[in-house]
Amino acid sequence: MAQALQGVTVVELVDGFWAGLGTTFMADFGARVVKVTAGASPLDGLAKAHRDVPPEHVKHLYHLVGRNKLGVALDLSGQEGQDLLRRLATAADVFVSDWPRRDLEALALDYESLRARREDIVYVTASGFGQKGPDADLPNLEELAAARIGLMPILPQPGRPPVYPGHGQIYASGLLLLGASIALWHRQRTGEGQWVDVSLLAAGMYGATLDVQAYLAMRSERFLRPISRYDAGNPMSGTYYLTSDGRWLTLTMPDTDRYWPRLAPLVGLDPADPRFDTHEKRCEVNRLELIRLLEEAFRRAPSDYWKEAMEEHDLSGDIIEDYSYPANDEFARLNGYVLSLDHPLMGDLKLLGFPIYMSETPASLDRLAPCPHQHTAQALRSLLGLSEEEVVALQEKGVIRP
Amino acid sequence: MLPLEGLRIVDLTVWFQGPIATRLLADFGAEVIHLERPQGGDPARGVRTIRAVPVGDWNQYFLVNNRNKKSVAVDLNQEEGQAIVHRLVQESDAFVTNLAPEHLRRWKVDYEHLRAINPRLVYGMASGYGRFTPTRRPAFDLTVQALTGVMARLGEPGEPPIYLGMGSGDAMGGLLLAGGVMMALLARSHLGRGQLVEVSLYGAQLYLGAPTLQAYLASGDDRLRRQRSRLEPVNPLNNVFPSSDRWLVLCLPNEDGAWHALCETLERPELAADQRFATPQSREANCRPLTEALDDVISSRPAEHWLRRWRQRGFPCAPVNTLADLAADPQAWANDYLMRAYCPEIDQEVDVPGMALTLSRTPGQIRHLGPELGQDTEQVLVEVLGYSWDDVIRFKDKGVIL
Repeated sequence: MAQALQGVTVVELVDGFWAGLGTTFMADFGARVVKVTAGASPLDGLAKAHRDVPPEHVKHLYHLVGRNKLGVALDLSGQEGQDLLRRLATAADVFVSDWPRRDLEALALDYESLRARREDIVYVTASGFGQKGPDADLPNLEELAAARIGLMPILPQPGRPPVYPGHGQIYASGLLLLGASIALWHRQRTGEGQWVDVSLLAAGMYGATLDVQAYLAMRSERFLRPISRYDAGNPMSGTYYLTSDGRWLTLTMPDTDRYWPRLAPLVGLDPADPRFDTHEKRCEVNRLELIRLLEEAFRRAPSDYWKEAMEEHDLSGDIIEDYSYPANDEFARLNGYVLSLDHPLMGDLKLLGFPIYMSETPASLDRLAPCPHQHTAQALRSLLGLSEEEVVALQEKGVIRP
Repeated sequence: MLPLEGLRIVDLTVWFQGPIATRLLADFGAEVIHLERPQGGDPARGVRTIRAVPVGDWNQYFLVNNRNKKSVAVDLNQEEGQAIVHRLVQESDAFVTNLAPEHLRRWKVDYEHLRAINPRLVYGMASGYGRFTPTRRPAFDLTVQALTGVMARLGEPGEPPIYLGMGSGDAMGGLLLAGGVMMALLARSHLGRGQLVEVSLYGAQLYLGAPTLQAYLASGDDRLRRQRSRLEPVNPLNNVFPSSDRWLVLCLPNEDGAWHALCETLERPELAADQRFATPQSREANCRPLTEALDDVISSRPAEHWLRRWRQRGFPCAPVNTLADLAADPQAWANDYLMRAYCPEIDQEVDVPGMALTLSRTPGQIRHLGPELGQDTEQVLVEVLGYSWDDVIRFKDKGVIL
């Protein structure tokens, strides 16, 4: 079957999680992605993916950043290994790296050097804070970017510690896919390559853009401090209520006129109750009274009851589920969002799947994550045209593993 | 030159997930034509408050999310309005929507209809729960995020779960949709035809938890799906800490060298000598007393004291900033992540989010903020579609266009 990115070769020199996930999105749609590993283990860089992933589970992240890719391991301590890497990068349509720019310069893999060898290369850097400005060389760490965006202090309830959510980097993965695609499109039409920079700072700001742009325009203190759930502007929207079994229900009904006639009877109130019979009364005049009554009402029944009631009455609300929900959700599986494999050695294996559906060129899982050196010889032959003898000579010298 | 110049995209979107997808492409030069109903247009034009704060003299919610776009006001309830859109689709490369399928069918702008009119059309669609999920429920960012499990693992135990921020899920869905549309355009070059691209809020938001969710899917470790107190971190040296005047992020590896270096900066030799904290394993096992001890020391001095010391030692660290800090962040301004744009509504320049991506040869631009309702209707009908002025007057008289 045709694949969207067939014919596109990507060479990545990536240690971290998010840039590797960005090229996985490309590999899922048929790009030939060569994952170059230079260090001892590909897990070293993944350990920084999220502070809440215990060390013993870091290996599971390699399923995501390795799938559908070719594994090439090179010893970069000597000239020969470095030269092979430069030749691989020169053979690529897209070169991607999350290494510090000084390290890339030392390997003559900076943009100017690579462009001198390959004029139309699409050169992608996955940086922490962009290529300009006073902090361009800060470490590529999601925590540092998250601290800078302004969301961490306003996510929790008032008085609680700032929350590190860790999702900003995922926008960066998506932006890497988008940036590389736009640059490939431009190259296809003009023959011109260029340097695409994707940064954690830009990505975090993008993900928080509604808050960022609202603050920039309105400059209100209400964007700088957490807002209590008892201070919601609309008791029926963006609010959380505890149910009788200790799980939380959340409601999103911005247009309360539309939902109130169906919600009121469920919570034991008369839709015509004069305290709440207009949007203004529900959201301004008697807002706190309504929050109090909803608190009481939702505590009277368990979460399963409310989940069914929301579905049955077409109400916009749901129980706040934990990860066991998508892990077992039939529709997560049917849509390909979660893949369930029956692996002969690993047994049942679940992994995150394909968030983009394409009718003619669908994503597919062609290969699980490779051993880091698994395709070294194959890639050197097919991309660089090395002969069998040359490959063996490199193996004997220890530049590549047999 | 902008990289997507010459691409014409018909944009039948509302609110945020759809509009941000096409906004990303418009920033890089695509001609995006936002179709709006003549009565009131995109409902996002009606936003009056955010976080219960009045939006003021200019509605940044609509004007920033729809910048660089044209607006054509056309009534899709009338057959002649549908015919205008069909003619526009013939002249376009892509059609992007986040409206409900029943509306699209009723207005004859669903995939089947438009594919028959233009087989080269890329049809991008943002949905709530995915094309294989049978539900009629309205899909909002927060109610869908509730299902993914990303909220339930954040916040202190017993506290309400944490929403990742206003529009956080829409931003991911829109970004992946933009990436998918670009991949489908690249695929069109070798396929010779367009296709359907679909992204859902559910599928996109599952990825927002990718590191912890993938670790859970592969391991089933229940710790990964539950709330985890800040006082019991996986790695006690990677956490947020309260100084006497603001919160700090510190990201050290749980290694003996880093631990001893930290103790030196804290001037607490007794901590370094404490057997409970002597090894990585014992620090992990005693994470609560260790975090309490660190809190005790760090909270005794202001942020600047610690940041100066830690930066001298090369520790990755940062103050936890607010949106006000971000608005003044020189790093964000230096990289065009923040920009200024002229706003006709108030006849002055305003600060807005800038480019989410940096392309060296073909950087994105803000040409103008969002259009007035229907401002480009006549130009598109006459210049792009070849209607006569008599046609335009006739359409206006019938209320087909504004």
